[in-house]
Amino acid sequence: MLILARKNGDEIIIDSNIVIKIISASDGYVKIGITAPEEIEILRGEIYSKVKESTLKASEESRQKLQNISKLKLNKFKE
Amino acid sequence: MQIETFQFGAVNFIEDNILKFKSGLFGFEELKNFLLIKPDDDNIFYWLYSVEKPEIGFPLIGLNVVYENFPPEEKCTAFGIVTMNQDPLKVTVNSKAPVYINQDEKTGFQKIIEDDKYDVHYNLFVE
Repeated sequence: MLILARKNGDEIIIDSNIVIKIISASDGYVKIGITAPEEIEILRGEIYSKVKESTLKASEESRQKLQNISKLKLNKFKE
Repeated sequence: MQIETFQFGAVNFIEDNILKFKSGLFGFEELKNFLLIKPDDDNIFYWLYSVEKPEIGFPLIGLNVVYENFPPEEKCTAFGIVTMNQDPLKVTVNSKAPVYINQDEKTGFQKIIEDDKYDVHYNLFVE
């Protein structure tokens, strides 16, 4: 892993079209601005991990037979 | 062409039936070709089977069934991957990372929605 030390306002350029800018850093929080082409997907690491884990679980459990749901209701989302 | 599936046994299909997922699914980035199977009209579930690895298949549900105004994508239907459970009250759907399918162009993709009202494990049934 490449490790770089940067100050507030400094930038990092990746592949000449992705710009990562350090907006601010204090008290263990870093605020980062990212400019990248539209087709580049940017995700928070922990959300990606959670989604990936859920997809793997769904695949594992896909052979479970659904029990009788005739007495249950669909859990419609309420705003 | 034919694949052997757990739910439906042997499934026959032609090239035109294949949905192309350029980036695969989160966790299955290497899988690019899928078949969408609807068992029958009364069933709320669809099934998405990998053509490359037919042992990988997911139940899906149309997210418009659960959410009134689920974020649309042009010409696409939004589906959620369902995680089955022996207890129906523990069956969940992933509305945080919907699978969008364009049936006309035979393409699909999964994306993550940055909105807290969508959930990776949303309970599908209630008493």
